[in-house]
Amino acid sequence: MIDIVFIVLAFFAVSGGLGMILFAQPIYSALSLILTILALAGIFALLSAPFLFMVQIILYAGAIITLLLFIIMFLNIRNDSLPEEPHKISTIVVGAILLIPFNLLILKSFNTLPSKPMHILGQDFGSISDFGMELFRGWLVPFELISMLLLAALVGAVVLARKDKIDG
Amino acid sequence: MADSILSYITLAMILFSIGFLGVISRKNIFIVYMSIELMLNSVNLIFVSMGRYYESIQPQVIALMIIAIAAAEAAVFLSLIVVMYRRKRTLNSDLFTSLSQKDSNE
Repeated sequence: MIDIVFIVLAFFAVSGGLGMILFAQPIYSALSLILTILALAGIFALLSAPFLFMVQIILYAGAIITLLLFIIMFLNIRNDSLPEEPHKISTIVVGAILLIPFNLLILKSFNTLPSKPMHILGQDFGSISDFGMELFRGWLVPFELISMLLLAALVGAVVLARKDKIDG
Repeated sequence: MADSILSYITLAMILFSIGFLGVISRKNIFIVYMSIELMLNSVNLIFVSMGRYYESIQPQVIALMIIAIAAAEAAVFLSLIVVMYRRKRTLNSDLFTSLSQKDSNE
């Protein structure tokens, strides 16, 4: 049963990713990326990470990709301002062939791990209270640094995207 | 199949390769950005599956940090795209060579 769920989610994730790099229009690519991200949220749930499952749906699919879709629609891109990509398919095929040894190396290194059952754990692992305890006990300084980074990104985005003054 | 860590790592590597191919093969700046997001997601998947394997919660915290950094990156990257598109009227990433405010009168 879990195998079927995993295979379906993996199929949606990979097909969404392939659609993302193959579509010419960026709006279809963004919708394919939403499919991939939702499938990955399901896989996080299979891996006993319910908090990341929710964060993936709310933050990634709900905030980041929605912001991306909003920007794509806001720019009102016409077909003639899309860049021409004559070597797209050939670059993808050659790059995929060149990436195979790299992937095999990484899979070989992970293959040395002893196999262990990966069934879904119950309440005693991955609950939100465990997550919060770990986040605010062991990771408090990185958490505060992340908040400063988000503030800096907010200010930077506002400064960059405002209209230029007339003086040029 | 879902019982072994190797299937999760395989899926993550496939997604990372797709994202990398998107970065090197496309010129549309939006698709380059989305490919970067896909690579970040596949790294998250590796972290979470290793966390499940060792039954530790710390990789999930790292994955949350990665998501927060991706959100910050989204804000800056998209505002840069808006500025560049307003200036050059194109989405071709080969033409985005200047970040300076000064010498942009062309």
